[in-house]
Amino acid sequence: MKMQIAINPRLRLSPFVMVLLTLMGIAFVVAMIRYIYGIGAISDLSYSYPWGFWISFDLFTGVAIGSGAFVMAATVYIFELKEFQPLLKPSVLTGFLGYIMVVIALLVDLGHPERIWYMMIHWNHTSVLLEIGICVMSYLTVLAIEFSPVVFEGLKWQKAAHFVHKFIMPFVILGVVLSTLHQSSLGSLLLIQPEKLYPLWWTPILPVLFFISAVSIGLAMIIFESSVSSRYFHRGLEIHLLEKLGRAIPVVLVIYLIVRFTQLTLAGDLQYLFNSGLMSILFWAEILLGSVIPLILFSIKKIRQSPNGLLISAIILLVGMILDRFDVSWFAVRHPDPLTYIPSLMQFNAHYIPSLPELSISIGIFSAGILAFGLVAKYLPLFEDEGHHDSAASAD
Amino acid sequence: MTDIQNIKHKAFLYDATRCIDCRACMIACSVENKIPMDKTRIWVAGVGLQGEYPNLDRASMVYHCMHCEEPDCLSACPVGAYSKREDGPVLYNKDVCIGCRYCMNACPFGVPHFDYNKGLIDGAFIDKCTMCTQRIDVGLEPACVATCPTDALMFGERADLIKEAHARIAAHPDRYINHVYGEFENGGTSYLVLSHVPFNELGLPNLPETPVKTVSEEVMGITIPFALTWGAVLTGVTVGVHEYNKRKENAAKQPVEAEKESEETK
Repeated sequence: MKMQIAINPRLRLSPFVMVLLTLMGIAFVVAMIRYIYGIGAISDLSYSYPWGFWISFDLFTGVAIGSGAFVMAATVYIFELKEFQPLLKPSVLTGFLGYIMVVIALLVDLGHPERIWYMMIHWNHTSVLLEIGICVMSYLTVLAIEFSPVVFEGLKWQKAAHFVHKFIMPFVILGVVLSTLHQSSLGSLLLIQPEKLYPLWWTPILPVLFFISAVSIGLAMIIFESSVSSRYFHRGLEIHLLEKLGRAIPVVLVIYLIVRFTQLTLAGDLQYLFNSGLMSILFWAEILLGSVIPLILFSIKKIRQSPNGLLISAIILLVGMILDRFDVSWFAVRHPDPLTYIPSLMQFNAHYIPSLPELSISIGIFSAGILAFGLVAKYLPLFEDEGHHDSAASAD
Repeated sequence: MTDIQNIKHKAFLYDATRCIDCRACMIACSVENKIPMDKTRIWVAGVGLQGEYPNLDRASMVYHCMHCEEPDCLSACPVGAYSKREDGPVLYNKDVCIGCRYCMNACPFGVPHFDYNKGLIDGAFIDKCTMCTQRIDVGLEPACVATCPTDALMFGERADLIKEAHARIAAHPDRYINHVYGEFENGGTSYLVLSHVPFNELGLPNLPETPVKTVSEEVMGITIPFALTWGAVLTGVTVGVHEYNKRKENAAKQPVEAEKESEETK
């Protein structure tokens, strides 16, 4: 079935755009307050909770949902499944914007944002965070290269686009290697906290689990963003392609569940499954939402073939897997509770609830990401069929 | 592995049974290092009153950097802001710190403290105990030790202090828990603790002898070999898939071409 792809972006100063701009403005003001008065002025972070919502949402979730880019690049370029080409550009763009959002959030979260580049010159080779920093910086470059043909095509620089296409393979392979490294290393970040992270989550194979779940998140994210953008931009939905992607998800999830429960059994942590109160609830919530329910839904052909079925199943998987990222980086981490007599430290009795300004930073950055996606979709040939270098679409 | 019992460098010994909770050490630290009291590098943790009258008991713990033999903060810091000096102290260099606060996550004792109330102009840094290097370099004891009125805090060679601690336990087995915290915990620390109440009541975590950074460093150790192997495998797969597809295409073309050729020869 051949889809008619018609682009009709509704990106005037609609109320939706106004809301996005307002949220960005609020975040900007809050960020300025943070730069003048310190992180404590806008957040609930403390000695006990040095990392909070920004790390769980912007870093852990942001990087995880950017995994669609490397999954798609591997599918199209390495496995040469050229039919998936139409999904490539939007997912590379999502990855690119997602990683830029990660960096912007880090510029707020870091105590010394002006020194972020120190990671390039001062290397402590035992630090997992250094590996993530270097991988993310390099991968941003790779994503920029992978996405540049779209920009060149938009500018009608066909020769430049052609030139990049010619030499893209080494960058694709580098991109997949870098993605594998930092997607898994996000899990490794918590390896240094064996006494703090709850045993249901802490395991030496956290990086393996993070990588497998990142692949499932990537696949779900492509389905999610294609479904949503097809509704918003009134363009055709590549349902036959999404159906095929949906078929891969149960395979990934079965591997994930097998690895996860084998590890729990071997480590003797099965005892915590039901009697750990909130921790047990969180564990089963993420297993059911992130793995079991999507596994069942994506196995049913009828659901895979319905646009709503695909979208809802993808959302359930994303919610569950994002909960996993929050569990590992926040909910399941037991922070030390320094018993203290110092009056000014009394407030830090190891409780953390993200403050409203803290949330507004993340919301503002997210709004900027959505707006940027919309602008790119409007001005660049994002949803064009590959190989058609005609200007029909951009003429609107 | 080095013999952590006989390692040659300075360390602290804290005896909870001797502490009267006067907090003179906190003031001495604040004065010596010119830091405000609420940003102190040393703090007194306590369990409050315990037991029933007249058998009341109260324990407190003087808490500052443990100066681990295998510092986890040093392992975690992406830019290498931490160092372990040969004579004991774990030091922090604020000139390279990027403020990521990963050291605070890594430290099992919750020692590094961050300036949450300073903006870009003042500069927000990590603050932690330095073992008063400015004093020990000229042969003095750290300020907290020098000021302690009951000798609850002592300073000296680590090996000597371990012997002293075990001697105290041997002399008064009824008074102490038979364990020197920090002798082996987390790979050994340069802050040793004697106590009459369980150590976790003093706010000290139960830690194994392997430092918490162990698995993390093992995984980091295999990263580069893994990356190279993975890159090679992916390159192999790419070339393999490409060749396979090409052959399949050729195979599909060949009959057509053969027909064409036969037509041409006719």
